[in-house]
Amino acid sequence: MQATARNFQEEKLIDLKAFHTFGEMKVGLEQRLGDKHQYSPGVHLVIDIGTKQLNSRQVRELEDVLLDRGMHLKEVLSSASIRPDSMKTEIETAFSGMPGYGETVLICRHLRSGQRFFSPGNLVILGDINPGAEVIAVGNILVMGALKGVAHAGYLGDESAVIAAYRLNPTQLRIANHITRPPDGEKVMVREPEMARIRTGKVVIEKLKI
Amino acid sequence: MNSRVLVITSGKGGVGKTTTTANLGTALAMMDYRVVLIDTDIGLRNLDVVMGLENRIVFDIVDVVHGNCKPKQALIKDKRHEGLHLLPAAQTKDKTAVTPHQMKNLTNELRKDYDFILVDCPAGIEQGFKNAIAGADDAIIVATPEVSSVRDADRIVGLLEAAGLTNARLIINRLRSKMVKRGDMMDIDDILDILSIDLLGVVPEDESIVVSTNRGEPAVLDNSSRAGLAYRRIARRIAGEEIQIQNFDETHWIMDRFKKMLRLAR
Repeated sequence: MQATARNFQEEKLIDLKAFHTFGEMKVGLEQRLGDKHQYSPGVHLVIDIGTKQLNSRQVRELEDVLLDRGMHLKEVLSSASIRPDSMKTEIETAFSGMPGYGETVLICRHLRSGQRFFSPGNLVILGDINPGAEVIAVGNILVMGALKGVAHAGYLGDESAVIAAYRLNPTQLRIANHITRPPDGEKVMVREPEMARIRTGKVVIEKLKI
Repeated sequence: MNSRVLVITSGKGGVGKTTTTANLGTALAMMDYRVVLIDTDIGLRNLDVVMGLENRIVFDIVDVVHGNCKPKQALIKDKRHEGLHLLPAAQTKDKTAVTPHQMKNLTNELRKDYDFILVDCPAGIEQGFKNAIAGADDAIIVATPEVSSVRDADRIVGLLEAAGLTNARLIINRLRSKMVKRGDMMDIDDILDILSIDLLGVVPEDESIVVSTNRGEPAVLDNSSRAGLAYRRIARRIAGEEIQIQNFDETHWIMDRFKKMLRLAR
């Protein structure tokens, strides 16, 4: 397999899309750099790795190969996430394993009794959901305030949907076709963000660690 | 001064909309503002009874909007205050006798002659409510410290927002500080937490309201009525004065009474 290269304004682009493993990629890169006419020291290189991903150690290895020849790595292009795992934020780790939905609707106000809101994707509310109000989403629901009304996530049956709220104190929670309500009699005041999700067929509420 | 149309509403019935309208209207008139009270509770009118003006009704709001008489003819002058007028509701018709558009025209016409136009809204969220809020600039929501009342008030705030009245203010009526202290009643913060609107005032539970209502004399006329004093403070706040929300601690109240007695003795 041949690595192809073309001019990319001031910097050079090296196309390594054809290689499957990191080892092959590295060898292909070294072969391509052997062409002294095209790659003189001081040049800035952009490496396109297609749909594959590199972690930070692999990026550093490629950088070393280039630095040995006096070249600089400007950027690694990847159609997958460019960021290696180690760069993932804590929030992303906390929300990993949740389904993704293309569309997210943001509501920047309180929802009051009698008001109802539907989202074909996720739903984020910057405000409270008062008793008597209802929010429904095909995806997940996130309330940056107090959820005191009714929330229904995974409206079309997605059991992996979650409902998270800064203060989770709902009249009723619905995820997919599961309906729950807080137990009668006891009033538990939790002053922490919480998240409801389905685990082994039951709606459970857990602390939201961010 | 620009005239302002204030609608007094609550959603739930029996929380004190009519009493509040009568008292705030009287209190504003005592401050020499020109005030008109409009009763929109067609079919179940009682603002005229609370004001003690029932026996003077000739024309009513339905006659005015249908052109049977001029607004001036239907307006009843208060017994005690020169600048206070009442436009009574009709008792023989129902809420559909008036449309929101007609209400808007009516309030706009009254703006010329009055500083404050207080609209007493009927309970519920149907036609009567829509009529009452049609011409309003501001809304005053009356709620008692009960979950049912607060829930309805929340619904009303939502409906008002949808109608473009985003600056609703809250009067908490019939608060019993002793019960709040014992934890048996919602306190002010609990209510504000749910409704998240500005607090206009707090009116304590007061038996003298029953007496004054039955007599047809608003409580603000009675200097010894706690509720009446609270309404006076609210009226001053509506007029734009900056007055602290009173803390209805029993001890304070006893202290006040003690001071008053001393003053009387002198």
